[in-house]
Formats: sequence, structure tokens, C-alpha cells
Amino acid sequence: MAGMLELKNLNKNFDAVHVINDFSLEVFENSLCCLVGPNGAGKTTTLDLITGRQAPSSGKIILNGVDITGKAEQAICRLGIGRKFQIPAIFRELSVEQNLAVAHSIEINPIKNIFSFSSKNYKTKMDEIADKVGLSHRLPEMAGNLSHGEIQWLEIGMLLMQDAPLLLLDEPVAGMTEGEVSKTVDILNELKKIKTLIVVEHDMGFVRRIADVVTVMHMGSLLAKGSIEQIEKNQEVRNVYLGTEDE
Amino acid sequence: MRINPYNNVKYQWAVYVVFFIFLACIPTIVGDDVFLLNQLSTYGVYGILALSLSLCWGFGGILNLGQGIAFGLGSYGMAMTMQLQSQDILEDRIPPFMLNNAVETLPAIWEPFWNAGAGISLALIVPTLFCLIFGGLMFWGRVSGPFFAIMTLAMLSAFYTIFIDLQYLTNGVNGITPPMALEVGPYLVDPYSSVSFWVVFVALLLCTVVAKLITQSKFGLIVQAQKNDPERTRFLGYNVALYETIIYAFSGFIAAIAGCCFAMLTQYVSPGQFDVGFSISMVIWVAIGGRASLLWGMLGAFMVQGAQSYLGDQFLSTWLLILGFFFILVVRFLPGGLAGLVEVILGYFSSNSSGTKGSNSEPKRVD
Ligand SMILES: Nc1ncnc2c1ncn2[C@@H]1O[C@H](COP(=O)(O)OP(=O)(O)O)[C@@H](O)[C@H]1O
Ligand SMILES: [Mg+2]
Repeated sequence: MAGMLELKNLNKNFDAVHVINDFSLEVFENSLCCLVGPNGAGKTTTLDLITGRQAPSSGKIILNGVDITGKAEQAICRLGIGRKFQIPAIFRELSVEQNLAVAHSIEINPIKNIFSFSSKNYKTKMDEIADKVGLSHRLPEMAGNLSHGEIQWLEIGMLLMQDAPLLLLDEPVAGMTEGEVSKTVDILNELKKIKTLIVVEHDMGFVRRIADVVTVMHMGSLLAKGSIEQIEKNQEVRNVYLGTEDE
Repeated sequence: MRINPYNNVKYQWAVYVVFFIFLACIPTIVGDDVFLLNQLSTYGVYGILALSLSLCWGFGGILNLGQGIAFGLGSYGMAMTMQLQSQDILEDRIPPFMLNNAVETLPAIWEPFWNAGAGISLALIVPTLFCLIFGGLMFWGRVSGPFFAIMTLAMLSAFYTIFIDLQYLTNGVNGITPPMALEVGPYLVDPYSSVSFWVVFVALLLCTVVAKLITQSKFGLIVQAQKNDPERTRFLGYNVALYETIIYAFSGFIAAIAGCCFAMLTQYVSPGQFDVGFSISMVIWVAIGGRASLLWGMLGAFMVQGAQSYLGDQFLSTWLLILGFFFILVVRFLPGGLAGLVEVILGYFSSNSSGTKGSNSEPKRVD
């Protein structure tokens, strides 16, 4: 059985710097794959390659059997990939409700959207999602006024409005308080029943609470892959990555 | 949750209604002074221009220093139509200025303008098409912000030069002076009468209503979103370049309508329509009025142009300094323009009154 998303021998150079080296990965439907690795390992760049923000120097990216290598961002997005950025990207000058409305991108035709004035047909969905990410009481608020944690949730809520089956989350709990992290864990564990997720994170404590499979990257290559128990036992991983915890 | 009445859509529409009722009273107030009425109608044209720029810049975040392109193309199209209306397709085919330039057959590009309907349609379609193509090229190449502004400025200067150079087609710096008012069927739209005022009034009204509706549509929401964060918008699946091109071209279309009205009112067009200074003053109107508000963009145009006609004569070249001073003042202290000031004041009063009356939208504080 082939996975939902396959990365085959990806390479990416920025001029002379090899950021991604022959990296391959397979992600299966309705699973949560954590992509971990020290800072600068190339995790964000991998997401850039998948979502078309950068084109790989070589290699292939296959989504549901379709080659999406080098397609434009919005085209890849339309094929069912949603992305949360490392630096949260929301529309700060719009209200929370408007953010969610924009994210409801079933209809992208600008001419049809000129004649669309009502949010009636997605209001229920919007309320459900706002409830799921805990922002129901914040709908009229300007998104720029939200707290850091709420902004992360809003961005996750936007991905849900967008309704992509595959979600890529880049450091979703960065800067969150302990309570907020727990709430995010609940949200993600709920989500993985219906979505396929790749979560970039380097906090192993968080990874342990959500991951089905863990992939460790180091200097742009695959270092190890397996369940969280296997990864934590792996000596190589301990040396480059977890080693600091022991010493 | 405090809701500022400034942001209440119903109140906004109410204010627009009041605004247009006031404008509709102008002919009665002015009475027989047709010259004043003509001048006020030209302000209406400036209003349409300001509206087009608030839509593109204030609302869509696309700073356009070359709005004069669409305005100029529209006005030339109208002037060419009016010029040929005063001539005869069989006997007197060639406009006098062309004869002076020793042109013996009417250039092909002028031919469609024999028919007023075709001429006016071209006056609107050509600028819109130009914006679609130019905007498309720029936005698909991800040219944005100051780079786009500079490109529009360069384009505007190019048009200015071309319209001066193509002497035999455009009469160069002298421009085109149609000897007769626009004829629509059997009627004459006399620029010095209330008829032309109402034409401009209806144009302004329609443009405003359509522009306001666009800002309230899903399309408008996406345009605002791409102004906030184009990358995020792209990653939600929208083709940002397409949205930018459409709002830019629509704004150009409105400016072309302004151009048509202008030629109709003044019976005169010249490369001055493509003057860089004029396009920049549009930006100043909108910045002073408040670029995020369609209405205040228009009011900004009325105020600045009004001040210019009455004070400009007294201060002569110092006027530009005064205008520049106000512009800097607004940019520095009132980034939202006068509209921003109104928003703050309304917000202040509404939060005060809800505090004292204990409105039901805000829970009462227990001191
Ligand atoms: N646009 C770029 N140009 C040059 N180098 C880059 C660029 N983007 C990322 N890099 C480099 O690639 C490496 C991997 O970065 P990144 O993918 O952001 O790591 P991670 O997300 O794992 O912390 C870093 O060394 C970074 O400096
Ligand atoms: Mg990163």
C-alpha cells in the first residue's frame, strides 16, 4: 500500500548549501507523523518543498499518486494540503470570524465570489470549528489582538475550514503555556481520527503525547524513523539530538 | 464587546444615503450659476477617481501612482467620440487639427469612434483591458508594493510622452477640443447645465454602490486578506495574482468612467490627464480623507480640490508646500486619514455612552 504522501529522494540546495540531502518519507492516511530534528535540520524547508513554496533541486513529491513536484502553491493547496506556518500567519486586521470565512476556500473563482454576500452556507461549520479550537467567544475580535496561543489555534481552525485532508503544522505549540499545550494535544488527537497530519516539533514531551510515527531529520537527511519508543532508544538519535538531555 | 458604530454596515449605508441626498440638492442650491454647477460636477469626477483609488489602494493594498492612465485613456476615448460627432462621416471626415498636421485620411484607430456607442464602449474597455494585461503581467510576476507603484509611475510617464509624440493622432500637447457637447440620441449633454451634473451624479452613485457592494462580498474579503498576508491567502488556495488583477482592473474601469465624464464636462482633453502630478494628487486626496474608506476618499478629493481652487489662487506656488505639509501631517499622525479620526472619535463616544447608559452589549462594571 502506497502512502498518501510520498517524498522521494528530495534534494534542495540554496546556492552551494545543501539543505535537504536525499530525503525520503512516506506518510499514511489518518496517521500523525512527527517530524523532529534540531534547529536548522531542514524541517521547515521540507514543508516548503511539499507545499510548493520552494521547488526541490531534485526528487519527487507524490500526493495520492499524483506528482505535485514544482506546482504552484495554490494548486497544491487545492489538491488537499493545508499548512500552518512556523511564524503564525493569520490575517491580523480581520476579525476571527473573517479569518475563518476567508479560509473557507471551497469557491476560489473571483467572479462567483463577487456575488457572494452571505456566510449562511458555512455558518454551522464555522461555529463547529470555532468551538473545536476554543475560539467561539472570540469571533468578533480582531485577530491581531489574540494571545499567542489563540493565534496558533486560529490558524489550525483556518486549516479545518479549508477542509484539506492533509495538514502540515510547523511548530504548533511554540510559545504556548503548559495548559495551552495540553489543549492543543487534545485538539490534535481529535483531528488525527479524520485527518492526516505532519507535525514539526522539537519538544519530545509534546511529540510523545501525539505521534503515531516519528521521523528524525539531521542536517537535511533522514536519521531515523519509527515509533516514539524506538526513536527514544535509538543511540544515533540520542547522540545528535536527545544527547543534550542526558549530559 | 464594544462595537464602534463606525464599523456598523447599516450605519455606513445610511451615511452614504445622506451623502448622496446632499449631493442631489446641489443643483437647487446653486440655482442659475451654471459655471459653478459645472465646476462642482468636475468635483464629482474627482470623487469617482478618489473612489477608484480607495478601492485599489486603501482596500486592496495596491498603491497605484498611475491611475491617470485609465483616466486619460477614458477621457481621450470620449473626446474622440465627441470630436467625430461634430463632423460628417462623408463630407468632413478629418478633424481640423489633423488637417493642420497634413493628415489626409482619418487614421484607422479613429474609425470606430464615428459611432458614439462604440466610441464610449472603447473609452471604457481599452483602459480596463490595459489594466488587466499590465496588472496581470505584474501580479503574476509577484511585483507588489513600492515596486508596483514605481512601475505604474513609469507607465504613466510613458503614456504622457506617447500622447505628446503622436501629434497626428492626439494633437500633442494641445490636446483635443471637441467643438460640440456630447450628443446622446437626440439629446445634447450641455456641460453648462444640470443635465451633465446629473450624468456625473448617477455615475458617482452607481460606482459607489457597486464598489461598496464589492467590499462587502466574499471577493472583497479575500482582497482584504491578500492585502494583510498574500502568502497566507495563497496557501488557502486562492490565486492572489488573479484577485489583485481584478480589483486593479475594476479600479481602472471606474477611473475610465471618470475620464469619460471629465471629457464630457470640459470638452477638452490633453496629455495633462497623464500628468504625474495629477495622479499623485489623487493619492494625496485619498490619504488625507482616509484610504480605508470609500466615502472619505471622495470627501478628501472634494476638500483638497476645493481648497486648491479657492486657496491655490491666493497662495500660488506656496499651495503645493501647504498641501505637502498636510500630507506629511496626515501620514505621520493620522495614518487612517480623517476617516481614522472620525473612527476614533465615534469609538470614544460610543464607549462612553455605553458606559453611562449600561448598554446591553457590554456587561456593567461593578466599581
Ligand atoms: N531561503 C534560504 N536560503 C538559504 N538558506 C536557507 C533558506 N531557507 C533555509 N535555509 C537554511 O536551511 C537550513 C534549514 O532550515 P529550516 O528548514 O528552516 O530548519 P528547521 O525548520 O529544521 O529549523 C538552515 O541552515 C537555514 O539556514
Ligand atoms: Mg523551522
